[in-house]
Formats: sequence, structure tokens, C-alpha cells
Amino acid sequence: MLTLVLGGAASGKSEYAESLVLKTALPRYYLATMQVWDAECAARVAKHRKMRARKQFATVECPLHLEQVQLPARGTALLEDLGNLTANELYSPGGAGKHAARAVLAGVEAVASQCENLVLVSNEVFSGGADYAGDTDQYLLALAQVNNALAARADNVCRVVCGIPVYYKGGTPE
Amino acid sequence: MMFITGPLYSGKRTFARQFAGSCITDVQDKAADAADLTQLAEELAQYDIVIATEVGGGVVPVDAGQRAAREAAGRLACLLAARADCVVQMFCGIPTVLKGELPKKC
Repeated sequence: MLTLVLGGAASGKSEYAESLVLKTALPRYYLATMQVWDAECAARVAKHRKMRARKQFATVECPLHLEQVQLPARGTALLEDLGNLTANELYSPGGAGKHAARAVLAGVEAVASQCENLVLVSNEVFSGGADYAGDTDQYLLALAQVNNALAARADNVCRVVCGIPVYYKGGTPE
Repeated sequence: MMFITGPLYSGKRTFARQFAGSCITDVQDKAADAADLTQLAEELAQYDIVIATEVGGGVVPVDAGQRAAREAAGRLACLLAARADCVVQMFCGIPTVLKGELPKKC
């Protein structure tokens, strides 16, 4: 079962996605996409890891090359988030560059084949204008390709608005 | 006329290709320079399909020209939706019909 959860900044999408995962059987994996740049990032990551450990999530770091992730057992995975992962693939020295969208989609397929349930969190950043240029436009196009392809592929597509889930496809997964 | 709106790169054109008839895209860009938005909306409503990208969902632009353009684009979208037989909003390639019924697919 593939579920795509989208929302704007601070819309409650992460919390909602996590609540979906907590309803499923163990094991639970959290696929973390943030790149750790400095001590502040590291402290944040450590704090979040601890919080999730209490909820019985095992954290797997995958800021790049999602297709190489090997999950130890079949269960439920929560990937957060596609906006971050796409930016990493697009801009990081070791990333896929202009093939970022394709790399992210291949990575999602690889992970989906290793778990019973996959919940993907992604970002809505497309309603602020239509005349972006250069790097910003490249990023928006790549993330839109990822979002639209996964919305077509997913069993459930949910947009979180002010913490309220609105299903555009499927419904609350069992 | 069918009016299709939605965020940038949300699949508006891809969706429109399923339907026959004349089609005009990116009409939000025409709003800023229009002397009369109502007249522009009347002209655009002669097309079978009119597509506009939603541009009003970000922070208010610092630049006065951009502020006015965004305002005009939003007003034009309202005028078009009022004239449309069918209004569709796209989200990640998924259509939601907000008004009327979809025309027959070609």
C-alpha cells in the first residue's frame, strides 16, 4: 500500500503521516532525508531520533541514493520528505543533478518493493507564482514531476489542510 | 467554456488534452496588462478551454507591480469561473470539479 501525504509548511502533514504509520504493525522504519551540516542539525536529528525511538521507529538516514536503501525486514516505512530528497539529489555534489526526479522515483520503487506499507510525505510549494527562473524553476519542476507521478502511482493521496486530512484518491489506509 | 486552474506544474495541460476544442493557457499573465478585466474575461470565454495557474498562494510580493499583477490574476480567475460551464482545479495531476460537469472526452 502506497500513501502520499502532501501539505504546505506547518500544515500538520508530518503528524498525520506518522499517525497513519502508528496504526500499522511493526517493524516501522523512518527514512530521514535531512542532510546534517552542523552541530545544530545534528542535535535536531538526535532529538527527533529519540522521540521516534519511543514510537518504535528505526531511523534510516537516506539524504541521497534512496534506491540503495536495504530494509532489514518487511514492515511500514515513512519517508520524510520528498521535497528535501529532491533538493538533495538536484543540488548535492553526489546527487543525480538534472535526473533528480527520475532518481527519486526509482528510489521510491526500490523501497516500496521492500515493505508492506509506504507512507511518503511531500511538499506543496506551487501556489506562489508562475514566473520562477533558473534553479528555483528547475526545483519546482522536478518536485512536481515527483509529486504528480507518485500521485498517479499511489493507492491513497491525501492533502493535509490545517491538520485535517482531505483525500483526493483512495481513503484512510486500513 | 471549461476553466482549469491549479498550482504550477499540477497537470493542467495534460488534463486539458483529453478534451476537444480551442484552448488557451497561462491567461494569468494577460491580467496585469489588461485595461478592462471583464472584457478580457469575455474574450477568453470564447475559447472552449481556458487555463490559468494559481499565483495567489504565496507571501504578498514586495514589488508593487507584482502585487498588482497577482491581484489582477486572481480577479480574472473569478470572472472566468463565473462564465465557465465547468471549473476544474488540478492537484498533483488529480482533477476536482468545482462547478458544473466535465464535457465529453475526445
